[in-house]
Amino acid sequence: MRITINGRQLDVSGKKTILEVARANGIFIPSLCDHSALVPFGGCRLCLVEIKGRKGYPPACSTYAEDGLDVTTESPALQAIRRQVLELILSEHPHACLICAEKKNCDEYKSTIRKVGEVTGCVLCPNNGRCELQDVVEALKIDRVNFPAAYRNFDVRRDDPFFDRNYNLCILCGRCVRICHEVRGVSAISFVFRGSQAVVGTVFGRPLLESGCQFCGACVDVCPTGALTERASRGEALPDEEDETICPLCSIGCGLKASLRGGRIVSFAPTNAEAVNRGQACVKGRFILRDVVYSPKRILKPLVRQNGELHEASWDEALDFVATKLKGYVGKNLGFISSTQVSLEDMHVFDRFTREVLRTDQIISFRNHSPLASFWKELRMNGQPAELNFELDSISTAKVIVLSGADIVVSHPIIWVEVFRAIKNGAKLVVINGKDSSLERHASFHLRVQAGREFSLFNHLTLKLLENNPENPYSRVNGYETWRESLLNEKKAAFARADINEAEVDLAARLLAEGQPTVFLMGPSVVNSAAASANIRALWNLAQVCGGRLIPLAGENNERGAFEIFSRSSDRVLSVEEALFKISRGEYKSLYLAGPLPVPPDAAVEFLVIQDCFMNENVQRADAVLPAATFAECGGTFVNVEGRIRKFKNIIEPLGEARPDWWIICRMAEKMGAAEFGFENAAEILSDLGRTRPFFEPACHRHQGKGKAVFILDEKKGSGQFPSGESPELAPQRAAIHSSPAASARALDYYRSLNLVEESKGLRKLRGLREK
Amino acid sequence: MEIAKILGEFHGLQKDLIHILHRVQAQFGYIPPEAVAQIAECLKISENEIFGVLTFYKAFSLEPRGQYLVTVCLGTACHVRGGVQIVEEMERKLQVKAGQTTPDKKFTLETVNCLGCCAIGPVVVVNGKYYSHVTLNKVEPIIKEYREAG
Repeated sequence: MRITINGRQLDVSGKKTILEVARANGIFIPSLCDHSALVPFGGCRLCLVEIKGRKGYPPACSTYAEDGLDVTTESPALQAIRRQVLELILSEHPHACLICAEKKNCDEYKSTIRKVGEVTGCVLCPNNGRCELQDVVEALKIDRVNFPAAYRNFDVRRDDPFFDRNYNLCILCGRCVRICHEVRGVSAISFVFRGSQAVVGTVFGRPLLESGCQFCGACVDVCPTGALTERASRGEALPDEEDETICPLCSIGCGLKASLRGGRIVSFAPTNAEAVNRGQACVKGRFILRDVVYSPKRILKPLVRQNGELHEASWDEALDFVATKLKGYVGKNLGFISSTQVSLEDMHVFDRFTREVLRTDQIISFRNHSPLASFWKELRMNGQPAELNFELDSISTAKVIVLSGADIVVSHPIIWVEVFRAIKNGAKLVVINGKDSSLERHASFHLRVQAGREFSLFNHLTLKLLENNPENPYSRVNGYETWRESLLNEKKAAFARADINEAEVDLAARLLAEGQPTVFLMGPSVVNSAAASANIRALWNLAQVCGGRLIPLAGENNERGAFEIFSRSSDRVLSVEEALFKISRGEYKSLYLAGPLPVPPDAAVEFLVIQDCFMNENVQRADAVLPAATFAECGGTFVNVEGRIRKFKNIIEPLGEARPDWWIICRMAEKMGAAEFGFENAAEILSDLGRTRPFFEPACHRHQGKGKAVFILDEKKGSGQFPSGESPELAPQRAAIHSSPAASARALDYYRSLNLVEESKGLRKLRGLREK
Repeated sequence: MEIAKILGEFHGLQKDLIHILHRVQAQFGYIPPEAVAQIAECLKISENEIFGVLTFYKAFSLEPRGQYLVTVCLGTACHVRGGVQIVEEMERKLQVKAGQTTPDKKFTLETVNCLGCCAIGPVVVVNGKYYSHVTLNKVEPIIKEYREAG
């Protein structure tokens, strides 16, 4: 279709508003309430336009383009209306600075440190210089406000963590209320009262901590004014540099924009660039990440123990010391622990170092049991291909979503955003053993089953589905009868034993039978129990019978990468439990900790090396401590939960003498006389990785198409489509397993050995409230 | 308990929110905080959204109202016939401002912007009973009627 704006003929495809079309073609229409992530609102009335043949002045943000529309965006009448509207908005917003004749000089000569609570003008406002209201005033050339100024005199709300709320600056555009309601599904804030009393608030004016707020920061990011501002950076001047990076705090790998000033990170905010997080983040990436990089617990110099005390040393001395000592343990009694939060490059060097130089076991420290690794192992044992790649986008096209074993609102907030998108598109959510979090009100069914006996619930859902469909295609599958028999035998006793509500299960089964496509999200607590393999098989069978897709949720940022490098092709990998068992039996005389491991106090370890970013409880016993650089200081590659390759570059120089993990290991290997460790940058390591592991081949292309997702190769090519219900080889039912209380699927609030809950008072309050 | 009973009469549909709030208001004379929490759970919406709705409408009160709700009309017709003076006299006699409740929780004084019965103004309504052509002299007897009624 074709519309005309200001005499220009423009082609439009799809359903677009006039404002969107205008913006896409570089035509400016002032607007304050519109936001690309939100449903049109028509609240601020600044985007009014004239349309030939229509009465009045329709708002461009909520009028959709139709063929043949003739739109005028600038006319004296429109200008007058917009000015009047803006003056009304400004009458309730401190505007002395906005219309000050000395504005230009003031910007240039007076810089103010903004350590004030009350903001009475732009110079005192933390948002000065990046305020949309300032832009609009500039565009409409307002130099006078012809209405009496009304300061609303609200107290600045500073009782919540992370950000301040100053509703004296609020223009009631509603973006914060809408993003909380429409995108995050939280509704922690709402418009309260009416007319001139209207304000954004919570139920009975409670603090956000008690209103269900997750502190994702989405409201802060969409606020056009200084009403919502991040507290940690509100005293800072405007950033002089911006750079993009990837959040290392969970397996989503959100794209973040870092604002820097004088080479120091001021704050992180989500970017809209890729189809991963689409402008959304969570409390950790938005508010805590900066403090992770600059934590006072950072180790900044190599330390070496001499005469019983740790002393600072140069890299050369420290590496010499460790290399000499390690030589005595090569091939025997040596454990090397690697983190799942380091980059692929680091992991590849770790892997080669342990195989070629130390000739020892590789221990990979998954903090929780990895659903990914457990799922793949279980399926492989049953001769099934395990498809691991998927696209976050595809979740929102599901009609039924079954969530078990994870509180995704906390552990995978961006997956929650996708699930909520699906719910808004009409999908039904079935939560199994949820934690009664405020967001599970969006669930259609809330099934409960004794922890550790999830498999009996899955089996009964499967059985129900097959019963309701006697002509099911699975009856011809090998072993179907015995399998069904075993389910039926277990059924009678199991309902009572596993505390299952049979009526609810029936209703949920009906839902599963109707809804296509179906997605099953499997979190850590399903695999973190004695019944792990029964749980996985039961859930897999259920997914097959529904024709759905089972997605195991990796927890940590590079868990998938760690799995691919360490687990998929090697049997030398030990879990933390196995490692602790070996330590308790005194099998390790020496430990190299490049990842978290709680070394038991009575462990008989002769030589302990710690390579980490942060001081931790193991340091007291360490013989050498090597300072590693954080994600912000070294470039690299993560593979996120989808299997998507996420590349990031260093945004600051390493703090102190910290060095990338791969650099430390490479130099160590050289000192120990190993050849072929002469890597000087991450790219060299990546191409070495691509040569030895074909799965990573797609990660090695230096010039990735901008905006085009690149995935690592999977067993079955991840198409992003849900597989149709192909006949499964049904896994045999295992004999009843003794019930064991499943370890709780705690949120992974760690970066390397730094416990974010201990570091951040705000996060502590937030998590404490949830676990009450 | 009583809130649960009210909720039981509905089917947990979000569109019934305002009906439910009206019932709670009628039952308690205001919307107690625990009602907001229970309604939120029943209708599967956030408490904040309910608070937004109930603060929007004047029909719902957050404070307990008195036993008798005294409403003085200040619509145009009542206004020109001395409605303002009636409100002031009520404030003097009840010793509260419009919008407030007497300390003994007996009377709540409110104003309204038209009751639609302009012909009989100035109008005062006490718990649904209409008093027409109210003058300053009639204010005391109206209050007395309810004070004595207990």
